[in-house]
Amino acid sequence: MAGQQGAEDLFDSILFADERFRGEGYQEGFQRGTQRGLHNGWRHGASHGAKLSSEISFYYGFAISWKCLLERQSDDRSRKRLKALEALLNLTQKFPLDDPQSVKLQEDTEKLRAKFRQVCSMLNVPTDFKDYIRTAEGTSF
Amino acid sequence: MKEALSLVQRISAHPDSCCWFVSWSPNGALLASCGGDKAVRIWGREGDSWICKTVLQDGHQRTVRKVAWSPCGNYLASASFDATTCIWKKKNDDFESLTVLEGHENEVKCVAWAPSGNLLATCSRDKSVWVWEVDEDEEYECVTVLNAHTQDVKHVAWHPKKELLASASYDNNICIYKEEDDDWECQATLQGHTSTVWSLCFDASGERMASCSDDRTVKIWKECPSENGQGNLSWKCVCTLSGYHGRTVYDVAWCELTGALATACGDDAVRVFKEDVTASPDEPVFSLVAQETKAHSEDANCVSWNPKEAGLLASCSDNGEIVIWRFKEEELD
Repeated sequence: MAGQQGAEDLFDSILFADERFRGEGYQEGFQRGTQRGLHNGWRHGASHGAKLSSEISFYYGFAISWKCLLERQSDDRSRKRLKALEALLNLTQKFPLDDPQSVKLQEDTEKLRAKFRQVCSMLNVPTDFKDYIRTAEGTSF
Repeated sequence: MKEALSLVQRISAHPDSCCWFVSWSPNGALLASCGGDKAVRIWGREGDSWICKTVLQDGHQRTVRKVAWSPCGNYLASASFDATTCIWKKKNDDFESLTVLEGHENEVKCVAWAPSGNLLATCSRDKSVWVWEVDEDEEYECVTVLNAHTQDVKHVAWHPKKELLASASYDNNICIYKEEDDDWECQATLQGHTSTVWSLCFDASGERMASCSDDRTVKIWKECPSENGQGNLSWKCVCTLSGYHGRTVYDVAWCELTGALATACGDDAVRVFKEDVTASPDEPVFSLVAQETKAHSEDANCVSWNPKEAGLLASCSDNGEIVIWRFKEEELD
């Protein structure tokens, strides 16, 4: 295109070639980067979403099973336990699993994990479900 | 000022180990201590001196970090780095292990009994605070797990009159919890300290709270109606004691009888502060009235006022010692 305009523009096209190619290269790189970023982001999201979903679903299954086991008992203790299980179930059902951008996601996760630990303590079940629950590590004073 | 804090007795309580914490029984007759030797010791007065009455061993696999008496004085709770809390029941002159509370993921840092005696709070390096309920059959059941802190929780203390719980953490904050609609919630987060908050305590009325920190200060917080509030209370820092402590302040104790404030510090000193009664309640002024700069030969870990005998103070240290002090104000000498 530049050549049609005469000798001066010919020199211009040589003079600005560096800039032009840099620009084109940038565009191309940007597109590839965007694609790779999207891909990585998608993979990251999918893996974390799957982890979180399996954790929450685990709590749900846990709560449902224990509820069935305890439902027939009418003593004070079982009723207290059932109440805590109901609270756990309630939290799993309210959990914003279909809204990964929910601002309450972190808070709700913490609440649910805390409730799960309380329920485990009440049921005398060791909370040793390492595949589902992250654990703190290290030392302190 | 030199005469204000006098030595009553120096006890090698946990030899070859450290003594982490001391706690007076509610009637002031017994002192419980715990330490790195995994044991809890009970001290009583015989004549003019304090002697070891009982040693509670085999309850824990690791360091016992804190001990707490139930308000009735018949139970003792011990929190240990082995992730458990032991409840001991007094039988005649001895104690027997009643139950072990499990649930924390790792080191339990503190245990405290609510004034009603029906609730017990524990906190841990796992960043959580647990509240346990005691029923008539002496069964303990966890009623809530609170995750308001983002780091190791160092200390828990109950309000003397209301069912209000406060916790201090490595995340530099203090959290206040209250039961709301059948569940416990963090009602307020108190920010102000610039490093780990090691301990806190309420005054006798519960209207104020003192906290101490790795930032070498002691802060006084006052309860006040919240600005936006429906009944929720907020706490404001009304006084900061800085410049007195050379290192981390590990413990603070507010005497129910005299209102004197004692601190235990990493610079090996035990200090006593008194409030200027003429100052405005919204801007209280505290002044140093007594200090023992070489209280122990190592870090002072804890201070505790006898609840019945005014001025009787116990402190303990990394060198395994307990020291009993008598605090007398100048004008009384």
